[in-house]
Amino acid sequence: MSNISANNSDINTALGEEGLGKQTWWVEQWMELINSYRFKKRLERAWSYAREGNVTSIRFEGRRVHARVQGTGEDPYKIKLWLDVLSDEDWLYVLEALTQKARWSAQLLAGIMPSDIERAFAASGKRLFPFKLQEVRSECNCPDKANPCKHISAIYFLMGERFREDPFVLFQLRGRSRARLLSDLADQRRKLLDAIIRKKLKESSNYDYTKNLHEESSKAPHSAILNPSMWWKYEGNLNADLVVITSSVDGNTGLNSAGVLPLAEDPKYPNAQEKFLNHLHKEGEKFSQHAMIQAMSTKETI
Amino acid sequence: MSLLHATWLPAIRTPKSSGRPAMLVWADTWRVASPNGPNITPAKHPFSLDIKELRTWLQEINLLPNGIIDSSACLTLPSQPIKKQGDHGLKWTGLPLQAGEPIPKNCEWWPWQVEGLAIDPAMTAEWLSKLPLSGKHPDLGEEIRWWSHLERWALSLIARGRWLPQVELSKGAGYPHRARWVPILNREDDRRRLEELASSLPLVATCALPWREPAGRRNNRTTRLRPEAMREANPIASCRPRSGRLRVANLLQDLVDAQLRTQFEPDIEGLDPLLLTWQESLSSYSGIISLPEEDIERLAKASNHWRESITGNVAPARACLELFTPKIGEDLWRLNFSLQAEADHSLKVPAASAWASGSGVLQLGEIKVDQPSEILLEGLGRALTIFEPIGRGLEDATPESMVLSPAEAFILVRTATSKLRDIGVGVELPQSLSGGLASRLGLAIKAELSDKSTGFTLGEALDWSWELMIGGITLTLKELEKLEHKKSPLVQHKGAWLELRPNDLKNAETFIRTSPEISLDDALRLTATDGNTFKKLPVHKFDAGPRLQNVLDQYHQAKSPDPLPAPEGFHGQLRPYQERGLGWLAFLHRFDQGACLADDMGLGKTIELLAFLQYLNAEKELKRPVLLIAPTSVLTNWRREALSFTPHLKVYEHYGPKRCSNEISLKKILKGVNLVLTTYGLVQRDRELLETIDWQGVVIDEAQAIKNPKAKQSLATRNIAKQIKNKRFRIALTGTPVENRISELWSLMNFLNPKVLGEDNFFRQRYQLPIEQYGDISSLKDLKARVSPFILRRLKTDKSVISDLPDKIELTEWVGLSEEQRLLYKKTVEQTFDEIATSPKGQRQGKVLGLLTRLKQICNHPALALKEKNINQNFINRSTKLLRLVEILEEVIEAGDRVLLFTQFAEWGHLLKTFMENHWKCEVPFLHGAISKNKRQLMVDRFQKDPRGPQIFLLSLKTGGVGLNLTRASHVFHIDRWWNPAVENQATDRAYRIGQTNRVMVHKFVTSSSVEEKIDQMIRNKEQLAEEIIGSGEEWLGKLSVNELQNLVALEEN
Repeated sequence: MSNISANNSDINTALGEEGLGKQTWWVEQWMELINSYRFKKRLERAWSYAREGNVTSIRFEGRRVHARVQGTGEDPYKIKLWLDVLSDEDWLYVLEALTQKARWSAQLLAGIMPSDIERAFAASGKRLFPFKLQEVRSECNCPDKANPCKHISAIYFLMGERFREDPFVLFQLRGRSRARLLSDLADQRRKLLDAIIRKKLKESSNYDYTKNLHEESSKAPHSAILNPSMWWKYEGNLNADLVVITSSVDGNTGLNSAGVLPLAEDPKYPNAQEKFLNHLHKEGEKFSQHAMIQAMSTKETI
Repeated sequence: MSLLHATWLPAIRTPKSSGRPAMLVWADTWRVASPNGPNITPAKHPFSLDIKELRTWLQEINLLPNGIIDSSACLTLPSQPIKKQGDHGLKWTGLPLQAGEPIPKNCEWWPWQVEGLAIDPAMTAEWLSKLPLSGKHPDLGEEIRWWSHLERWALSLIARGRWLPQVELSKGAGYPHRARWVPILNREDDRRRLEELASSLPLVATCALPWREPAGRRNNRTTRLRPEAMREANPIASCRPRSGRLRVANLLQDLVDAQLRTQFEPDIEGLDPLLLTWQESLSSYSGIISLPEEDIERLAKASNHWRESITGNVAPARACLELFTPKIGEDLWRLNFSLQAEADHSLKVPAASAWASGSGVLQLGEIKVDQPSEILLEGLGRALTIFEPIGRGLEDATPESMVLSPAEAFILVRTATSKLRDIGVGVELPQSLSGGLASRLGLAIKAELSDKSTGFTLGEALDWSWELMIGGITLTLKELEKLEHKKSPLVQHKGAWLELRPNDLKNAETFIRTSPEISLDDALRLTATDGNTFKKLPVHKFDAGPRLQNVLDQYHQAKSPDPLPAPEGFHGQLRPYQERGLGWLAFLHRFDQGACLADDMGLGKTIELLAFLQYLNAEKELKRPVLLIAPTSVLTNWRREALSFTPHLKVYEHYGPKRCSNEISLKKILKGVNLVLTTYGLVQRDRELLETIDWQGVVIDEAQAIKNPKAKQSLATRNIAKQIKNKRFRIALTGTPVENRISELWSLMNFLNPKVLGEDNFFRQRYQLPIEQYGDISSLKDLKARVSPFILRRLKTDKSVISDLPDKIELTEWVGLSEEQRLLYKKTVEQTFDEIATSPKGQRQGKVLGLLTRLKQICNHPALALKEKNINQNFINRSTKLLRLVEILEEVIEAGDRVLLFTQFAEWGHLLKTFMENHWKCEVPFLHGAISKNKRQLMVDRFQKDPRGPQIFLLSLKTGGVGLNLTRASHVFHIDRWWNPAVENQATDRAYRIGQTNRVMVHKFVTSSSVEEKIDQMIRNKEQLAEEIIGSGEEWLGKLSVNELQNLVALEEN
């Protein structure tokens, strides 16, 4: 047990605490799910499988996960994993619930998984996250009769990483891609908003929230149509902030703010991501130097 | 002249190529063209240079970019439809308009084919960073400066590391996926910059239509393609004028991507195949990335998610949080949610409107916002990652506002606001907490001149009182102490919430303890610009009493100076603005401040200065001689003007080979002399001698002569202006816009008031480099505020001046003769005179005429009289008249005005043409008798219509004096005089006629003491010479007696 939790923490810290790291509640939940499994010995073996790079591929294809794991045999074993998909009707309940709270839409639009998302699913009596490991359906073509076999278990471990990469994978496994979810959500919201408007209009005939609404008839032509000399005119001055070009004062570059790349690591190439990011940082300093030199060599006014 | 343009050619992506965008540089020029229109393909732009011309020209002006390929594109340009003769409206015909051309009423947008050079994006960045960032360049279209600014921004983003690599999925089946470097525009200042550049985008920069070669075969190696294939590939269409942030953001992205792509060196050590491939594609030319579909999707998703965590999409609006202070007696702060336009932060609508727009479009002022509720929600979701309490306010489906506890409000004000703004969420704080200068503890000052003060000494102490002020609210010391005791960072006072900062409190305490005085000098400084501090405390308010206010207003030129009427003893009248100019000179004189009178040419600076000297004289203040330094060419003019306007002033000319050379005799000569005229050259040569004189003042005319601070004559001039024991006033006169010539400003101010701009080195670092190299506006503003009290510049077009001026201003430019001219003149008169006296009557008239002609030629230039054909090196200095002409033309050219030059000598016209073309490196057309009728019309059309046509037009008086319409000129020069004023006036009327919208200045050159002056006198005193004599040409000359003739031609020595 202690062995495994140590391994688990290895997995978690591989991505660090920054950036999306703080949103990893669903990764933790997944790990808890795995740890609740009874056959610890099998899990240990699965973990070393995963770590030694025996998992040759994991693909999310629609609602299923397809994976290949190199076992003792010549050919890798083929594995399939899936969750029970929510019906369209169930999804409708979920969407309705999601629009009731602006925060849920707000977070989903901003790319964040709300920590209380299960409450929206509870409306349909369903769950987003599997409650027990048994809800994760799986198949493996290895001779081992037990399910999960060590190959499937190896995938379990790596799935956690993939959830960190893209939390919306969970929605996908339940039958809605992120794009689909957001557009369904937008449709649902429009319905809701239109209903609110109708209600308010009924309540008060003086209601004037529509005054800012765009009217097609008021479409003004582009100002260049009215003043064709705009085709050539530019009277702007160089912004004061662009006079002297310096590197970032607070060290706050895009790379620093973005933090860790949410991409699961390939166990065969340990620290590849760290190397990648370090190299980008180094190159970034070079870019910065070069840009400053170039900016200084600007010609004087001719 | 040609004008260079730069238009972006967007990448055309096909399944076969990822396409690379490119910058098309092309040029147009004025030429005669017949109207044309699109046929199977858009018509060729009739004014654009072809590739060969373009290459040659770019090479000539040293702007040929690297990495170019010959290219052609189809551009949408404003065009003027013109019906061809005999055409019955079946066809489109017209001409494209050019930059600067007047816009016709019936302007349409048509596609035109343009040849040009396509620059690779990476090379574009390099090329752009070689171009000037400020100022107008005669060869470059204004949009090129826009491009330079965009590239400058790209450099700044790269320097600050505001970028991330991304993987972009293909736009459709078969199209490649690409690895890209994208700029990150989440920061408040970068977002504002995007709005600025988007709203100021000159549309020519992006007016290219997608233009591609059809997939069909080419006709061998020519670029001519099968018409039907061409039509299919490039339907005749115009692009709508569009602009917008997304467009500009894409251009920026292309520039950043191209630069980073070329610089990036991948390090493949220890990378997994995904990252490895990504890295390689990030450095490859095309950026195409090939990986198995599932991997590419993972990579795209991951990179996208990565970017998403710090920045959203480019949208016309953003979510905004508005904080309101609690109502009196309450604790909780209200936070309203709203939607704010990116382009104009004052455009806001409450969240309710966003919700109410449902699935529609929201109109924010002129800005259209699609999906307003989605933008609002996304912004709120981002805000939540920074400022957690917001979550509480989002429990509803359509939240509009929430309340915050005092502690939460403080966190928002103090730390969260800037972070929120940096992730693209607007925050509006109450005025008194907005963090600007107004929210800092400062002073409200009341001051007035003390009763006995005259207000003319800078150091004098003022009567004054002060109060502490913060957030627009005054508070007493007691109140401040009470607030301090609350030990709370946000305190309420008189209904407003304030933030007390420890540092501000410390400064206030120090201030109170030292109880300082305030001087007139301080008052002038504090009122010069906003945001000044006094003893480390910001001055929020400065109330000046009426008498002090009057001094401040005059000093800052907030109001026109009090006029001073023409002084006693001044012969002539001052126009109202000249009276104000005189008043201003007297005002600064009382403060012992140097003054630069920079009125436009022709407004009468000479008269104002003479009036000022006479004013001192009349006030009995003119006790010692005043030294006036001027270029040689205007010395004569000064002498003449002083003679006629201020005959009471005793004028002495320190000039010529016979000038006084020792101290004792000079001092003797200068007894009782009021004004000494000399030249810049002599100030340097006779430095030691001139320094021995106790000048009352030093005046420099054509002050641009000292523009080079290191030149010997500048040093000598600045030196002689320094006071030794007695006060010495300094006045500079110039007609050029000195305040715009940064490098010349220091030298001028060092002459006038050395303390204002400090030392040379300081000035260069603080002002010159930032302004000239980068066009830094804040430094420029500061510099202008510093120097503006000392510069008075009125333009002919100023409202306050315009009513005082006639539509046609006639100026006589008095000039002297150079040494060579003088000797030649004398010799010619002597030699010819005997001949005439002894020749028979029949031949006399011809001989007299010949002499007069030759003398007039000498007055123009010795080379003309000597029939020289070439321009030698010293050409300009051999004639004082030419010297002066060039000086005036410099000013006129710089002002962008257009000029007609009339001469009666065709040979002089040819020499002048060669000289001027050489001198200004520009084309000077010359219209004379030998030019064909067609060519004449072409010259006239070009002068009238070409937006970048020649500024100087030379005409022979006889050929060009009649019939033509040249109303684009606002200056007319008569280089030499004609006996008959009617002929001159007729020539003048080429410019001064119906259609002329500007005031016309007529400059008539007269060589003092020579035959030209006599002619001038005759013309002026018509009554002495019967009209019919003048009218009958030059025959009367032959009837002159020897004495009369001698009188006419002899050179008068003064």
